Amino acid sequence: MWELVARSLEASTIFLFAALGELIDQRSGVLNVGLEGLMLFGGTAAFITAQTTGSHALGFLAGLTLGGLLGLGHGFFSITLRGDQVVSGMGLWILSFGLTTYLGSPYTGPLGLGRIPSLWGLSPFFPLGVALVAITWLLLFRTGLGLAIRSAGENPAAAEASGIPVTSIRFLCVALGGMLAGLSGATYTLSYNPVWNYNFLMGWGFVSLALVFFSMWNPWILLAGASLFGIMWQLSLSPELILPGVLSRYVWRTVPFAITIPILCIISTPWFRTRWGLAKPEALGRPYAKG
Amino acid sequence: MSPPDLAPTEPILAARGITKRFPGVLALDHVDLEIQAGEIHAVLGQNGAGKTTLMNILFGLLQPDEGALYLREQRIRFRSPHDALARGIGMVHQTRRLVSAHTVLENIALGHPRTRGFLNLRSTRLEVEALGNRYGFTVPLGARVWQLSEGERQWVEILKALYRGAEILILDEPTAALTPPEVKTLLAGLQTLVRDHGVTVLLVTHKLPIVMAVSHRVTVLRSGRVVARLRTADAAEESLVQHMIGRDIAFRTMNRSAEMGRPLLQVEQLSAFNDKGLLALRGVSFSLREGEVLGVAGVTGNGQEELAQVLAGLRPAASGRVRLDGRDVTRLSPLQRWRMGVGYIPAERIEVASIATFSLVENTALNYHFDPAFIRRGLLDNAGLEQLTQRIVTTYNVKAPSQYARAQHLSGGNLQKLILGRVLSRNPRLLIAHLPTQGLDVEAAAFVRATLVEATAEGAAVLLISEDLDEILSLSDWVAPIYEGRFGAIIPRAEAGAETVGAMMAGVGMKEAGVR
Repeated sequence: MWELVARSLEASTIFLFAALGELIDQRSGVLNVGLEGLMLFGGTAAFITAQTTGSHALGFLAGLTLGGLLGLGHGFFSITLRGDQVVSGMGLWILSFGLTTYLGSPYTGPLGLGRIPSLWGLSPFFPLGVALVAITWLLLFRTGLGLAIRSAGENPAAAEASGIPVTSIRFLCVALGGMLAGLSGATYTLSYNPVWNYNFLMGWGFVSLALVFFSMWNPWILLAGASLFGIMWQLSLSPELILPGVLSRYVWRTVPFAITIPILCIISTPWFRTRWGLAKPEALGRPYAKG
Repeated sequence: MSPPDLAPTEPILAARGITKRFPGVLALDHVDLEIQAGEIHAVLGQNGAGKTTLMNILFGLLQPDEGALYLREQRIRFRSPHDALARGIGMVHQTRRLVSAHTVLENIALGHPRTRGFLNLRSTRLEVEALGNRYGFTVPLGARVWQLSEGERQWVEILKALYRGAEILILDEPTAALTPPEVKTLLAGLQTLVRDHGVTVLLVTHKLPIVMAVSHRVTVLRSGRVVARLRTADAAEESLVQHMIGRDIAFRTMNRSAEMGRPLLQVEQLSAFNDKGLLALRGVSFSLREGEVLGVAGVTGNGQEELAQVLAGLRPAASGRVRLDGRDVTRLSPLQRWRMGVGYIPAERIEVASIATFSLVENTALNYHFDPAFIRRGLLDNAGLEQLTQRIVTTYNVKAPSQYARAQHLSGGNLQKLILGRVLSRNPRLLIAHLPTQGLDVEAAAFVRATLVEATAEGAAVLLISEDLDEILSLSDWVAPIYEGRFGAIIPRAEAGAETVGAMMAGVGMKEAGVR
């Protein structure tokens, strides 16, 4: 039983890293629907690097770096060129799908390195994720930079008029978001399931994206949501552990999405908005032009 | 109030030879502006005169193509608002630049150099409170901005600029969305800031009474050029108007024949919710005859939008009844109402009344696509629509490069003429005109008003919703001041004085009558 929980929490961590990055992105007003693509790239880069050099650390570094660079690429299209953020994000995902399959196929198979040591069966990435949640919360709600980030996502014109460099803030956030997505991918290929296969994620990135909306852009709710989704996902792999024969894994796998959709419906109702205030960053997905 | 030094002293802030071009437009043409320390300097001009562009340059939001800025005779360059703020220049924009989901305190702290690293909102709160006490005004620091009134939001922006250490305060059309009492408070507050605290105020407006009331000196802009630079005490209102519009346009009451036709519209106890689900229109009743104009006067956000939308069929009525020709139309769709002769000119010219990326012809078709006269074998009759558009363009004097120009490339005035023409060419019997002249220059506004008057001569009843009291008083047969979703009264024009109506718009008189 503990094994299942520990495994679920490790799965949660992968959602958590990626979604936390996306949350920072979105708080600054940039939507990156290509999250899955960033994770695929980050995971693949980490896997290849680790296998070639024999070092987990270098693998993680490669994942972080590539994720950050791709985040900046998305920023270039959506912030500098003011392109459509959804198109740019989808483009990243499609590119990653093809390119990682092409570049990674010679490496198909297990990593062949030792497992990353665990604490009482629990992956060390879970406590790291919790710490990152706390840090993100502090950053967003207790620092001047966080106020600037949130303002850039709510009303960039107001932020600019207050002397906040909106463009730089958004670039910072897409870079951070990209790095966290890369870290998430690397955690998948180096620790959670150290076997490379084409399109190894099969939707983890999209679950993470849904998770951000589920969390109403709050890191703590995100942590709870990630844990919940992690358990759901793990159950989808072995549903016979809990409810033998009730539902197939494919049905279980839709549960995170099935939960997210009604929540999205509820938080967009006028009732919710008047009662709890606007959860969604006002300027999310909208390019900002100065002046 | 004694004006500051009359002898030309060193200006605290000066713009010299500023030129700014936008694609196809020369927005500013070698503009010189000098502001003395400790004065209220008014920049007067019509819409499109270049006032806002000039202010955005002074605040670092835009860079001039030519010319330079001088602060205390030192040449300066502002690459962004950040630079301007660092030099003690604060700006309150025409549209609020506040994050409405954040608290007042967070908004004030945003971007302040002291918020580097961890936020210490507690000490910020104490400092802002102290500042407010010093200048003699308070705003609820813990409230979220969306909860505040427009007047309070303005004070938040002013307080924010002062907290940033602004010594020069630029206010762009600060009275645009305020009620008359709020305007009074604002102007008195600005005078105190200048007199007692040595703040310099640069006031941008197109409202003459404000210039006359508070400014020491005035610079008049027209079409991107400075046409006059005067001490307010030496300036006569008439001459300022002439400078501003370039020739003599006297504001006069429209002459209308007062023949009223048959009763057309009856509205009984009409109520409606706004988008937030709050009751915004609360039991409005009136009736209109053919050829009559009812002027609904009020500051935006008092239920006018909801009234117009309910009558046009775009918003369901929460309760009450609307009768047209005695027939209950409360639940009819917009299209059914169109067919019965209801014409609607929405306030949002580019968002609701037209589609920005559509051509003139397509925008005209928006009111005709359901008309069998413009459908041939199931397809839209393009040739017919072109002819109709041509007729509208000619009759209503719409200046456009071609019929296939996009609506977004028309100026506000020309687009409004097109919309007006499109609606009127269906000969509506009831015309709902919501802010029909808002943001238009004097000529276009006069044209729109004259056209409305013509429509009444043809027998149309007009519901005119406007913030401009002069417009209401010059066009209406009946005046209904609206405040918080209720009519204060329905007054015949002959008895409606600007003072009474203005007071009711601000909700004075209504509370006495025991209404909320």
